[in-house]
Amino acid sequence: MAQEELEIEIDKFGKVTVKTIGIKGPRCLEVAESFVQLLGQEESRELTNEYYEAEQQVRSHIDIKRKY
Amino acid sequence: MSSVIVVAPIIIANWPAIAAAVAAGVGTLGFSVINTAELQSAMSENVTREEIEVENSEILDSAAGTGEQMVVEKDGIKATFTRDARGALKICMEGKGKSKTELRQMGEALMGRVTQQYAYHRVVTELKQRNMTIVEEGMTETESVKIRIRNW
Repeated sequence: MAQEELEIEIDKFGKVTVKTIGIKGPRCLEVAESFVQLLGQEESRELTNEYYEAEQQVRSHIDIKRKY
Repeated sequence: MSSVIVVAPIIIANWPAIAAAVAAGVGTLGFSVINTAELQSAMSENVTREEIEVENSEILDSAAGTGEQMVVEKDGIKATFTRDARGALKICMEGKGKSKTELRQMGEALMGRVTQQYAYHRVVTELKQRNMTIVEEGMTETESVKIRIRNW
């Protein structure tokens, strides 16, 4: 199983950055969003390749099934 | 990396929780809590005052008689944390020979540290409740608190 990490940085002005590492697909957002609900207002978000990785795998699987 | 979310905390807590965050936060900037007797001697005339209202805050009602005020001091600069009429947190900065701009900057720096401590406490409490183990924790060069959690 890939290493799943969560990195939380709280700067000296109190701003919190939540990074998920190694969590593929929408679950990474669920984890990060739970901290938004806990703390306050979301200011920005950035989704990187891993977020889309799992979704692409699901789509490929569906395409293969349709061929047969 | 999968996702990065930046959150601006909203302080919602009762006075004891706020007071704990104030005590921990102001200490990082060299301020210390003073009692009422010391407060009298620290008060003097010809001081400049600047009030800062913390918009993203709500102090919840707590038990009566908790005295919702806290005074901290460093080198003659005094900061009074109180709950305003709307229930939000307010800081009154006072100091001799300081401009309003300087006092505001100091007040905002203090508030930043208080918010940092508040957010840290909330995050750590939540991680414990979810049985998430912190594998690394420390202070960065830019005075941020960094926490790392792995394979929960």
